[in-house]
Amino acid sequence: MAKYILKRIVYLILVFFIVSFMMFAVYNLIPSDPALIQMEPLRKTLKPDEFNRQYQELRKKMGLDDPLVVRYARWMGLAKDMDGKYSGLLQGDFGYSVSYKRNVIDIVKVPMANTIILNLLSTILTLAITIPLGIYCAVHARKPQDSAIQAFTVVGYSLPTYLIGILFIFIFSVVLRIFPTGGAKTPGSNFTGIREFLDRMYYMCLPLLVLVFTGLAGMTRTVRAAMIDTLSQDYVRTARAKGLKEKVVIYSHAWRNALLPVSTSIMGWIIGVFAGGSLVIENTFALNGTGRLYWAGLNNTDYELVLAMQMFYCLIGLVGVLLTDLTYSIVDPRVRIDK
Amino acid sequence: MSENNNSKKKGFFLFRWLKRAFFPNKEMEDIYKEEQLESPFRMVIKNFFSKPLAVISLVIVIVIMLFVFIAPNYVTLDLGEQDPTLINLAPGYFMTDYPEELVKNGVQDISVGNNYAIGCDKNGKLYTWGATKVSKVVNIADIPEEIQKAKIVKVSAGTDHCVALAEDGSIYCWGNDRLGQCRLPSELTMNNKTHTINIIKIGASDQFSVAISDDGEAFLWGNENFVELWISGEYRGKIQDVALTNSGFVVLLKDGSVVKPTKSAQSAVSNIPEGAQSGVKAISASTNTVCAIKEDGSVVVWGAVSKGENQIPEFDSPVVKVEGGRYHYVALLENGKIVSWGSDRYKQCELPSSIEPGEVQDIYVGAFQNYALTKDGKIETWGLKGFLMGTDSLGRDIFARLVNGGKMTMTIGALSVVIETIIGVILGGIAGYFGGWVDMLIMRVSEIISSMPFIPFAMILSAVMGTKVSIEQRMYIIMVILGILSWPGLAGLVRAQMLAQREMEYVTAAKTVGVKESRIIFKHIIPNVMSVCLVSITLAFGTAMLTESTLSYLGFGVPLPTPTWGNMLTGANNSIIIQSYWWNWVFVGAIFGITCICINLIGDGLRDALDPKSSGR
Repeated sequence: MAKYILKRIVYLILVFFIVSFMMFAVYNLIPSDPALIQMEPLRKTLKPDEFNRQYQELRKKMGLDDPLVVRYARWMGLAKDMDGKYSGLLQGDFGYSVSYKRNVIDIVKVPMANTIILNLLSTILTLAITIPLGIYCAVHARKPQDSAIQAFTVVGYSLPTYLIGILFIFIFSVVLRIFPTGGAKTPGSNFTGIREFLDRMYYMCLPLLVLVFTGLAGMTRTVRAAMIDTLSQDYVRTARAKGLKEKVVIYSHAWRNALLPVSTSIMGWIIGVFAGGSLVIENTFALNGTGRLYWAGLNNTDYELVLAMQMFYCLIGLVGVLLTDLTYSIVDPRVRIDK
Repeated sequence: MSENNNSKKKGFFLFRWLKRAFFPNKEMEDIYKEEQLESPFRMVIKNFFSKPLAVISLVIVIVIMLFVFIAPNYVTLDLGEQDPTLINLAPGYFMTDYPEELVKNGVQDISVGNNYAIGCDKNGKLYTWGATKVSKVVNIADIPEEIQKAKIVKVSAGTDHCVALAEDGSIYCWGNDRLGQCRLPSELTMNNKTHTINIIKIGASDQFSVAISDDGEAFLWGNENFVELWISGEYRGKIQDVALTNSGFVVLLKDGSVVKPTKSAQSAVSNIPEGAQSGVKAISASTNTVCAIKEDGSVVVWGAVSKGENQIPEFDSPVVKVEGGRYHYVALLENGKIVSWGSDRYKQCELPSSIEPGEVQDIYVGAFQNYALTKDGKIETWGLKGFLMGTDSLGRDIFARLVNGGKMTMTIGALSVVIETIIGVILGGIAGYFGGWVDMLIMRVSEIISSMPFIPFAMILSAVMGTKVSIEQRMYIIMVILGILSWPGLAGLVRAQMLAQREMEYVTAAKTVGVKESRIIFKHIIPNVMSVCLVSITLAFGTAMLTESTLSYLGFGVPLPTPTWGNMLTGANNSIIIQSYWWNWVFVGAIFGITCICINLIGDGLRDALDPKSSGR
């Protein structure tokens, strides 16, 4: 087992470097010249050839003419910077944001916390609803109540998240007037303590609702399918033949096994929510989260910020894949991993 | 023999696969018949068509597809077209639905504004109809009580305000007053009580209005910061008429000459041509031009001509009356004929055949609507009646954008699925058949691609690659990005199928006969795998459309003004639009939602049809 994990982690690190190099290369396709940006104010005060000389010198100093691999190694923190120090991603230096005029690491903290809270809450809520619902559907498969829930879930996973967002704003904010349409807190308010917390929760309700609704659909179908599969297994028939109560059969024998395949799809789903889902949700509801930060960074051509965020997304994806494999091998002893 | 064989095998390999997958040849059928078997594909089709929900979905998707691919030929879209007078119009063809009561009581006067109209009957009662909600808060139909009580004889409709003249000479204004459109000058407020001045004419334009008395005086009011509302003193007492364009005005004097209001006045119409400097009978204005009728019945047009307002046709009779719309003119001739010219974008110049020459008593023209009053008191209308699905915040027809956007969304979805299928089938087939290091390499690459969060990755690629290209190139880039990022799923499926198929006897047989390996993969195995991939391809089409629309919604897909179903919804996450201008999102949302749901239902139906075991799920 330990050997397997080690192997996976080594592989993951390798992939991370490949992906980050690819991303870095993609970014270097963008025609941008930080040296020219720095020199621009001096253009009028210097003579053209003097300007050109200083510009070339600065380019050399900043290491802009070095090969891509060298620049990548510097950015990653694998090679010495021009000032002779190691300062890169691995040392925790995520770069400098042009549009915020601050270090990327300082900007990312608050949005990251917001996104994680939102997604964690939605994940917990979704799973809390979806597993009982899926089991209920499977037990009552092909009955009217099951068909009704199925129709509901088809709508949930077919519609794009932003459309569901707009629909929910219409229903809950415009027609029913229960929740605010967007934002993270009451504008102009200066609450502290428990009031602040409640206020934030209140503003988080609608985005949470949309996330849960979209997540609900796919997960319920997965749980239902897995459960139906399990209920047709021989051991379930045996349990029933023994005369066990239906409740015991379902909740003690069947559902644990049904959750095996579900556990893998949960990880994949969380990754999807973290990246794609939160991007759309945060834009629809104007929330200060990583998705919106990423979106703003791309719009403002703030590339060091975007690159750092992209690395964050990649890491989430890769760790997610690793965790999926590991969970699967842990929860299902039938899966042999160390061959 | 071999020659014969070769000629049979001509044609693109993809078509040959599909043919073999879907239409197995006669010989094979006969074999199956002997064994009383059904070909697997036939069974799938039979299963699929036994599911009513899936079949209905299939029909709906086909109908929508045909609609978005055929309708754009008829509903053309001019990307640059936008008109501030057409913004946020509610859906429906209601703009010329005049009240029956008005006709019954006899029409006294009608004035047509931008997409709405006001009229008064012989009893002095006011009516409004059409798109009377001219802004978020102002509705022309909310006539103040004081005006409802008065006996109105003349009306004039501006862009967002109206002027009415009562029988006793009082003047009333209502509508938008933000720029002082309804602030009457002191002489007129005074006159509303004393009734000393005899007003004979009123006129309302975009942001200002005019009233003319029988002793040749003109009173102007409105937004003075926009137009200098002043007529030079030397013309006092000689004024016969004033023609108001949106940004300026000219004065017709009683001696038959048209002059600009002051020596220094500068506007689009202040450059008066020689033909209009004497012998003018009447004047009328469109948005940016003025038209004068001469004594001899000919007309002269000048000003900022943009859509053919000056292309005056030949008249077979002298012109009696001219009225200007936004970009067109309608003239009533002495012999009772109606002639119109100028922009015909909304069929403003297409007269209904029901109007008989000689019957028309009067004409009333607005921005895009025209009314003709016949001698027996009936009203005939032509021009813009409304928009099927309303217009958006830039005055663009939502129906046209919906149709053309649908074509765009579906094209991108379909082409990206084609790209995905080609890459997925080839790589998956190779990986599955050869195994070993090739398999290892392809699977690792697909793992890397699929482990990266899709939307952020697509956004970044679109942002990086789409910076310096035209809109069309950007569309293709989006397709390629979607195709390249989504093949791993399909490749995995093909590989798994391949692993199972390559152990089968027919492959061994082919190998023994000495068929090349590439032929075995693509000619023998892939056609057998294709039907299984069909589910994945169907669902991928839905996903590709979703992803494209999400990208466009976020601003990293197809850029505006080219419409797609995604970017039409970009501005809709705002409570004002969601509530007040619901037609901005409801129609697009509905058709897109239905399409996506149906595609998923087809996918589910296909899956059940392919795998009878899963139908219990």
